[in-house]
Amino acid sequence: MNTAPYEAAAWVKDCVVEVRQGAGAGSGLTWAFDVVVTNAHVARTGKVDVRLPNGQVREAWVRFADRERDIAVLEVPRLGLPAVMRRDPAELRPGEVLFAIGHPLGVRHAMSSGILHAVGPLPDGYPVPPQLRRLAWVQADLRLAPGNSGGPIADAEGRVVGVSTMIAGGLALAVPITAVEALVRARAA
Amino acid sequence: MPATLSTFSDQLADAVERGAKSVVSVHARPRLPSTGVHWRDGVIVTTEATVRRDENITVTLPDGRRIPAQLKGRDAGTDLAVLNIPAGQLPAATLGDPTALRPGHLVLALGRSGDSGARAAFGAVSATGGKWRSWKGGEIDLWIQSDLTIYPGLGGGPLVSPDATIFGINSGGLSRPLATTIPVSTVERVVTQLLAKGYVARGWLGAAMQPVRFSDQQGGLVILSVEPDGPAALAGLMVGDVIISLDGHAIEHADQVLELLGGDVVGRTLKVELVRGGKQERVDLLVGERPRRAR
Repeated sequence: MNTAPYEAAAWVKDCVVEVRQGAGAGSGLTWAFDVVVTNAHVARTGKVDVRLPNGQVREAWVRFADRERDIAVLEVPRLGLPAVMRRDPAELRPGEVLFAIGHPLGVRHAMSSGILHAVGPLPDGYPVPPQLRRLAWVQADLRLAPGNSGGPIADAEGRVVGVSTMIAGGLALAVPITAVEALVRARAA
Repeated sequence: MPATLSTFSDQLADAVERGAKSVVSVHARPRLPSTGVHWRDGVIVTTEATVRRDENITVTLPDGRRIPAQLKGRDAGTDLAVLNIPAGQLPAATLGDPTALRPGHLVLALGRSGDSGARAAFGAVSATGGKWRSWKGGEIDLWIQSDLTIYPGLGGGPLVSPDATIFGINSGGLSRPLATTIPVSTVERVVTQLLAKGYVARGWLGAAMQPVRFSDQQGGLVILSVEPDGPAALAGLMVGDVIISLDGHAIEHADQVLELLGGDVVGRTLKVELVRGGKQERVDLLVGERPRRAR
């Protein structure tokens, strides 16, 4: 058996930044040249600090935030990091190995691993508010904590399928990467 | 190499896909449905605590059809309930041998919620052991605990190996915080009884007892009260008698009596050895059926 099965985590980590605004801190992932994606509850508006994996801090600003889908897109001058690889979560099968990288409770670049639970809206009666339940989610059986918000959830090969956003009934919920793509496209048009 | 993890990932997803072919969603409570396993053709097993009504129960099959199901029986002691659906709707579960499980074995929990497809959780067996009694009084053949998260709606679903054989039914309610699995053999036994009678008959003596010691070497159970016309009364047992053996087994703790009565003993005659007024005596006792409380 290979001693480092989660090898992909090493290079996904290079695409994960820390996003600070006021007293709060969350995670972010590199999207494109000088562009980072995070949660809207991590970066609300205006200026934010982005800490790169090498420890350098860049001043960035919120290009737009979508409160409903809880996604914010940041402009980060001189980001200088590769963008994440992406995979349509609709291709995922329940049981596939997934991992999350973020800064849970301030622990930088921590990985947690698990599997895909399901993709889509949550079942009726699931303990979350109805407007959140009906959204499409990448639902993962892995552990998240405050500070993971805005970070990536990736498949076994390191392709990002979602943005870690919340925990419901113990389940990790991520915004499907395809929903982020749609938001970015809509704003660019 | 990433290929190693990808292969493992595919294997788990295959196990979910195959195992879920006999997993249904059970609509027997308000709001959140629970999970059930198509255990034998036409027979669905789920957890008793998730069946909150006796009628108007439906199940959603893997192909998305929602069909009516009839409640055949329930046993709170082992947290199992059995439903009937028409035969030939979906494949029956592929059952494995849970006695082979050891701490560290990788396992999956499967579920289904309405028409949303299969759901899965992954973890490892945490602890195994022999026979135990649930806090609700049911005898369970094996102790199987895992670090799986039984998410809302996953209760009643199967514990599955990475090669898709089913080891038992996951119960969210039998113990916490770890997930508890009711093993195949216990499910088989309870399903057979529920299909035959609608409930699990448990033995009854009709006497209240408490441990007592005669000496360092010997003890027994002293009878504190006798239910009028109960099995103990009919056998002539009296308050103050000390039972020292039952069915050939020396008895010193109430647990030993409960264990004996948990098995298939209703209607059997047991030899009782007792001490009465300082003298040892033997009587025959016809075990009755424990009266059932109305739900």
